[in-house]
Amino acid sequence: MAWKRWRIEDVIHYPGSQEVEEYVYTPGLHGLEAAKAFKEGRILGMKCGDGVYVPPKTYCPDGREGELVEVKGPWRVVTYTIVYEDFYGNKLEEPQVLALIKPDDADHGGLIHIVKVDPERIHLGMEVKPHWKPPEKREGKITDIEYFEPA
Amino acid sequence: MKTNIFVKDRVAVVGAGLTLFRRRHLETPRELAWEAARQALESAGLTFDDIDCVVTGTAPDAFDGVHFNGEYIADSGGFGKPTVRVYVGGGTGVFVPVAAWWHAASGLCNTVLAVAEEKMSPAHPHPQGVFAYIWDPILERPLGPNLIWIFAMEMRRYMYKCNTTKETIALVSVKNKRNALDHPAAQAAANITVEDVLNSELLVWPVNRLDISPVSDGAAAVILARENEARRITDSPVWVEGIGFTLDNTHWYNRELAFPRYVNYAARMAYKMAGIERPWREIDVAEPYDPFDYKELHHIEGLMLARPCEAPKLLEEGWFDRSGELPTSPSGGLLGVGNPIAAAGLMKVAEIFWQLRYEAGPRQVKKPVHYGLAQAWGDLMQVGTVIVLSN
Amino acid sequence: MSKGLSGRRQPGWVNPPGHYLKRDEMYALPGLVRYKPRARYLFSAGQAQSRFLQGLKEGRILGTRCPRCGRVYVPPRMYCEYCHTRTMEWVELPGTGVVHTAVVSYIAAFRERLKEPVIVGVIKLDAPGYVEGGYEFAGLFHRLCGVTPEDVMSGRVIGMRVKPRWKPPEERRGDVNDIECFEPVEG
Repeated sequence: MAWKRWRIEDVIHYPGSQEVEEYVYTPGLHGLEAAKAFKEGRILGMKCGDGVYVPPKTYCPDGREGELVEVKGPWRVVTYTIVYEDFYGNKLEEPQVLALIKPDDADHGGLIHIVKVDPERIHLGMEVKPHWKPPEKREGKITDIEYFEPA
Repeated sequence: MKTNIFVKDRVAVVGAGLTLFRRRHLETPRELAWEAARQALESAGLTFDDIDCVVTGTAPDAFDGVHFNGEYIADSGGFGKPTVRVYVGGGTGVFVPVAAWWHAASGLCNTVLAVAEEKMSPAHPHPQGVFAYIWDPILERPLGPNLIWIFAMEMRRYMYKCNTTKETIALVSVKNKRNALDHPAAQAAANITVEDVLNSELLVWPVNRLDISPVSDGAAAVILARENEARRITDSPVWVEGIGFTLDNTHWYNRELAFPRYVNYAARMAYKMAGIERPWREIDVAEPYDPFDYKELHHIEGLMLARPCEAPKLLEEGWFDRSGELPTSPSGGLLGVGNPIAAAGLMKVAEIFWQLRYEAGPRQVKKPVHYGLAQAWGDLMQVGTVIVLSN
Repeated sequence: MSKGLSGRRQPGWVNPPGHYLKRDEMYALPGLVRYKPRARYLFSAGQAQSRFLQGLKEGRILGTRCPRCGRVYVPPRMYCEYCHTRTMEWVELPGTGVVHTAVVSYIAAFRERLKEPVIVGVIKLDAPGYVEGGYEFAGLFHRLCGVTPEDVMSGRVIGMRVKPRWKPPEERRGDVNDIECFEPVEG
């Protein structure tokens, strides 16, 4: 027997799937504080040597530990994109504006969130404010803020 | 192997740190890595500013459920610095300081932070779902294998070839879990007997539950420095005398399972570099990789710390106890301290570091120590990684 | 100089950081994110393995032979791992072999307890004309049948001569499960 010329139909394919049913991500030390604050309708940042970071992390980029502070805004759009399709490529009924939003009292980072605004009207530097879910529906997640809306 | 072993620069380990090893941690993977790195830096009296380069290591991203996991944990000190992630399966833990070594020995970096982290708990219902990907999707996975099968098959072959029993092999688990009682980070420390091992849940004969190390979350870190820097940082540097790493093919069922050729090749490379000719006499303390109890014996033989099939007999004589002639896994190993894959290997390197500095406290071995060795093994019975240290 | 954690005055190393969570504690955490992955894959068997799987469908165990070193590969590779040459020649193996190792599994892939244990092992296949080096060999990982757990535990199984038990031709799909199991050769 020798190797024959291969045709694509001769290659056998075998299906498989992701066998982890679920991932469970813990919030981490300061993430837990930030989660508790979300439930109270507050947003935390981390004060490091070179300014305030949002969202907070356990350590600063220089490797040191920072201090938790509340950030109050006003919030401004740093950059944005307009989304027409969902995660699986299906057309959305209405285009959605996704933006990086930074509060004026923080120096670095910002939150990535939906801005409920006509895509025609969105612009860099636009002032927005968070629209919270009712307190009983909050879970300590970024989705506790339903969306940002023009201030 | 024709590796150049005549590297001019000497490199030393100057600090080490660990987090708790536990089944489930509140901390995120990057927080665990940062905690371990901070411990290591504090122990060396350094700060993140003193570090030139960073080497990180974790096992598959699918445990943490975060892609680019290595880069993700790298901001525990790698921010704005030359940083690289290395990955050789279970061998990663020892491969991280090996890679850190060549960063320093090449002269590229004066000080290198080596961090290994593993958070296995995010994968539900069990990290086994990730291990399923170790098997070949076409020739092996359709048979419905559990990861333990492959170890059981290797253990059975080893028992057959070396004419040893489950009772003897269980002594490794007893020894390591007892050693771990003195380890502050330990997850599975216990005073158990051979009967406890044999009576624990039978999973895949010959493997019972207590023959296996537990899944864990955890992180470990060590600091390596070039000679001048190391002498400035500490008056008791622990020198990296030799490193070795080799890979075998993925077809584990096409070769003799009773002897780990891949570990043996890696060991020979490390010994050659370290100038060690009779490892069974010259190595004073060893941390062979022990995710399963028979693996420790298997690896002791691969490392030429005992002749093939001699390890079970020496084990029975207490040769490998903390008070023995050649203490192995004085930390408690993976069986006792826990097995957050990459972090577990690096924990072994940290233990040898502490042993060679006589800083291991209640875990310090009885005999005087000059040369120590840590080894890990990984992938599909493929990878051997070895590091030889001296004081 | 080192102080505290690993200093000489405080031998041993104490107080490792980290916060352990019990299972329920974890699920009660505010801010816990749960995500269900939905990845699906299609693995290609490639050249050598596809032909091997076609062979199984025909009830034959095929391997490849390296023209330089003479090693016979089962499962087949399209290249020799030792010589890095293309393995030009296909060989058909008789299918018989000896058990290299065997175990009794009481658990399935995700640690569910099995009602009936399964016996699996490595079979070293007879490869006429292949003089092995003693370490590597042509072989397969598969189920064993016709042997009992006691045979495995006593070691009687190791070295036992076995042959494949094939599924009926109409049920074969070009899959490793076309071989039902390996069973002892009678007599």
